[in-house]
Amino acid sequence: MTKRFEKVFIANRGEIAARAIRTMRELGISTVVGYSECDRLSLAVMMADQAVCLGPPPAAQSYLDQEKIIRHARDLGCDSLFPGYGFLAENAEFADAVEEAGMTWIGPPGKVIAKMGDKAEARRTLSAAGLPVTPGIEDVENADQIRAFGEKVGYPLLIKPVAGGGGKGMFRLDNPDQIEDSLANSRSMAAKAFGSDAIYVEKLIENPCHIEFQFLTDSFGNGIHLGERECSVQRNHQKLIEEAPSTKLTVEKREELGRNVARVMAELGYVTAGTMEFLLDTDGSIYGMEVNTRIQVEHTVTEMCVDVDLIRQMVITAAGHKLEIPQDAIQFDRHALQCRINAEDPKTNFAPSFGRVEYLRYGVGPFVRSDSGIYQGWEVPSVYDSLLMKICTIGNDRLSAIERMQRTLSEFEIRGVKTTVPMHKQILKHPDFMDGSYTTDFMPKYLEQVTQYGDEEGMRDISRIAALVAEISALGQNPYCR
Amino acid sequence: MHSPMDSTRSARQNLAALRRGKRVFLVNTGPRDTGQSDYKNRLTFDDMIQLAPKYEDAGYVAVELHGGARFHQDLMHNRINPFKETLAWKQAMRHTLTQTLIRSTNVFGYRAYPKNVIRETVLACIPTIDIWRCFDFLNHVPNMIPAGEAVLECGGIWEPAISYTESDDTTDAYYLKLTEEIVTTFGGEKNFILAIKDMAGVGSPARIHRLVDRMLQRWPDLIINYHRHSTDGLAVPAVVEAALAGARIIDVTDDAFSRFYGQPPVQAVVARMREVGLKPFINDPVMRETSHVVRGFIGNYEEWESPFKGFSYDVTDHRMPGGAFPSSFEQADKGGFLELMPQILRGMGLGNKMIKYFDVTPGSQITWTTWAAIVQRIFKDGGLAAVDRLLDMLQGFIDDGQDVTKLSGEDRELLMTVYSGATDDLKSLVLGGYGPLPFGWPADWVYESIFGTDWRARVKAEREDVSRALDLPDEDLHEQADRLAAEIGRRGSWEELMLYVAHPQATVEFIQFREKYGDTTRLPSGLWFNGLKERGDAVDFEMHGRPHRLELVSMGETGTDGRRPVTMMVDNQLMVFHVDMPDAVTSGTAVRYAGAAPGEIGATVKGNLWRIGSRTKALSVGDEVAEGEEVANLEVMKTENAVFSPIAGKVTEIAADKNAAVDENQLLVVIEPAE
Repeated sequence: MTKRFEKVFIANRGEIAARAIRTMRELGISTVVGYSECDRLSLAVMMADQAVCLGPPPAAQSYLDQEKIIRHARDLGCDSLFPGYGFLAENAEFADAVEEAGMTWIGPPGKVIAKMGDKAEARRTLSAAGLPVTPGIEDVENADQIRAFGEKVGYPLLIKPVAGGGGKGMFRLDNPDQIEDSLANSRSMAAKAFGSDAIYVEKLIENPCHIEFQFLTDSFGNGIHLGERECSVQRNHQKLIEEAPSTKLTVEKREELGRNVARVMAELGYVTAGTMEFLLDTDGSIYGMEVNTRIQVEHTVTEMCVDVDLIRQMVITAAGHKLEIPQDAIQFDRHALQCRINAEDPKTNFAPSFGRVEYLRYGVGPFVRSDSGIYQGWEVPSVYDSLLMKICTIGNDRLSAIERMQRTLSEFEIRGVKTTVPMHKQILKHPDFMDGSYTTDFMPKYLEQVTQYGDEEGMRDISRIAALVAEISALGQNPYCR
Repeated sequence: MHSPMDSTRSARQNLAALRRGKRVFLVNTGPRDTGQSDYKNRLTFDDMIQLAPKYEDAGYVAVELHGGARFHQDLMHNRINPFKETLAWKQAMRHTLTQTLIRSTNVFGYRAYPKNVIRETVLACIPTIDIWRCFDFLNHVPNMIPAGEAVLECGGIWEPAISYTESDDTTDAYYLKLTEEIVTTFGGEKNFILAIKDMAGVGSPARIHRLVDRMLQRWPDLIINYHRHSTDGLAVPAVVEAALAGARIIDVTDDAFSRFYGQPPVQAVVARMREVGLKPFINDPVMRETSHVVRGFIGNYEEWESPFKGFSYDVTDHRMPGGAFPSSFEQADKGGFLELMPQILRGMGLGNKMIKYFDVTPGSQITWTTWAAIVQRIFKDGGLAAVDRLLDMLQGFIDDGQDVTKLSGEDRELLMTVYSGATDDLKSLVLGGYGPLPFGWPADWVYESIFGTDWRARVKAEREDVSRALDLPDEDLHEQADRLAAEIGRRGSWEELMLYVAHPQATVEFIQFREKYGDTTRLPSGLWFNGLKERGDAVDFEMHGRPHRLELVSMGETGTDGRRPVTMMVDNQLMVFHVDMPDAVTSGTAVRYAGAAPGEIGATVKGNLWRIGSRTKALSVGDEVAEGEEVANLEVMKTENAVFSPIAGKVTEIAADKNAAVDENQLLVVIEPAE
């Protein structure tokens, strides 16, 4: 059954809400954005055709309040809902509730979300479908099992509770001598923390590269892949720079993995867009980790690289249409790069930096795309994530994308909040980044190096002088010459 | 019309051109000495650099750009990199040379440097400085040798100066002997320019004429540059007499710059020279135009001109050089002892008959701090009558040939108290710390007054007839570079290191200022001093080759967060700045003074606490100090004053903030005595 959406509810905020509104407008779909009280004058609110207040700033009372969102969406006559990323984007129950309320969920079906949300089940599913996954053993009963497994795949290993999360009860095993104690510890911690002492052991991939495949699927069983993104510049699992394609995959490997991912996802009944994450070991082995059942922050890199509007395809496939592009139309002959501009101060352990954007200036120019959720005068609220903006550049080769990014960031100036821009500038000229050899080890290894810059980095001379003149004017005289 | 100087030629060629020319050449001291004497060295780069092409076209042989104090002020208050300043001048002028003034072994700093530092400093500056005038307040020629050797070796024009004053001792014979020593030391009369540095402006026209004449009879090829301040009111006739007697170079400044304490006005000097048949080398229309340019901005400096303006013929007695005279009144005003100035000035006049040296930095500061302290101390104990009694007694004593045995017992006792509160600088001076005094060591009673009854032992152990400044061991510049790096968080450039060596604290603050605000040297002076005043006020200026415009849109009220919002159009774009305002209520914490306990170390003089610890060891709580170790350093009128611990022990408190202005005896450091 194919539909045509007239009015979509954007159940998100920030740059992704603004970005989604743009595609909706291109498709002729009118938009309603839900906002919390502190997002009342946000960029997305200004851009949407209509906006509705969801409640107070805490997400639980606004962006996570399923009942309220559905009620408002229905009351305002929306026929579809776009969840974005974060918040309720991977909430199967919410996806189903939206459908039950008579609207279309612009994302994969609830059951697929649920299936992929259970990490153990996801692994089994992927493995059964023929995708490579990290070697591991489930339902561990005794130390001997682990010992045998270790002999087979080699150390280090990672022992962790099946029901776990957040690193609790997780131990690294470097040799067989550590097995007994770690197993006992992990079990007891798992029992206390998660109410289940089921243990899982997998091969620990050290300093891997983070590579993920973007795929699109429709309800006709078609699946295509749009190549991979490399997201190894990350800190505490938070991605900072993404690029496509990765410097570490061969054309053949991309073809093989990508097609497999697309095929498996189509077979699973996945519809719309998704990402499958892999870890690439230093020896070239690649292991599937999980499937992200949402549009991702870094989807822009892929869009730029292969020239496909992913959100448009999500809307079209969610509406029951066929994908607009066949696999053969996807070319991987360009290189895209993205920097995430977060309101954080990399120099002080990435402490959040919230407040009013007193001044904002950024270059776009040729071969550059910016996806922003802010404007000059916007007060960055302290209750949500710190992503302010993404800047993406494109080139026929990696070097030109990097050069364009360097140029664009040199035109970036913000006052009022500290951002990751000065750090990006340092990363972009780091030899390990330049030659593409970096792994997830990059940030831990070079954090100090890439945060060596002055407090005034990025400020134009005139802005710094203007700050001085403001100071002199406010005080009535120059304190520095007295 | 250009001067016969050419920066692309060698020093020798330029000196020959000066000797050949049958004209009187002029040096403009506006940027340095006049700026220092009358405007407290606040003249901004943006205003001054406009004058560079004018000076070139007017035909000045040189412009005096720098000296130690300008160097320091540039960093501390003008926030200019002195190297970049001189470079810009150098780039704007070819036939007008750049000139600096250095203080023998101190070069641009406030302490004596070892030879390697002197050499490195000269090397760093030589690309942008042509003429190196050098003086020593004791006229101790050996003190000038390290700098002289470096300048001559590097191809600069060397200009040793005679510190000039008028007194019974400073006879023509004395100056001729001194000139001979200079001629012999620096390779003959053709090898340099000789400056007569009349730093207070005390030379009578007739005397100057006679002295120059006698010098030239003896050394006909000597190029004499007469440098004179205006304080006594006789500068114009005096410089003209010097020129009539054959001095080749005369220091002047633009009429619009000329005030009371700097150099005489060029137009008056030129007119008088022509009247007496001399041919000054100057382009009249450009000379006049230059003053018009100066008038365009000089109003911005009114704040820095002294409220105590006016000539002082008394300078021939008290001998305070240039701007030190009005600034001493300002200090006295601030310190609440303005009414004692006549007595202090009289004391200074008497003092320099008892301990003889030349009143120029650091001598002038020593004289001032010594006599300001003596008079205040006596006044505190016995009022004006006691001060007058002391000064009358000293006058009689001097008139009587300074014979202690002729004094009554009571007067003798009084005499012994005169120097009892001597500063470290004065102590160092009489022990030969700066070199031998020009007219011999002071009388025994002076030592007894300074050091008490065991003065003989101190003199025997410490006093030397050769300058200790020349024996300083080389400093490890790598270590200094490491210290600089630790302070600014990165390796400094060589220039930054040289600045740091001269003025460590000011350099660190300058670098930090630059990192925050960038290069502010092209800000128009009105904007720099006072900012934008009224809504709608706008200033257009150029910076780094680009036009800019700043306009004040609104000035908000200070908010509860203590910040004041300032909205400006910056190149037509609206920007809001939040300026941290100083607390309206100044903290009422009372100043603490050092008590009787030996571990309570107070400030030895009123000054700026610019360092806690010694040059090689910063002190913090918990550090061990040895007896006699330097625990702090105070800057007073361009001199460093070390504060030493009288005991060995451990630092338990640092009681004053670095860079704070501290009162005499204000508590600085507390030491817990060692067991």
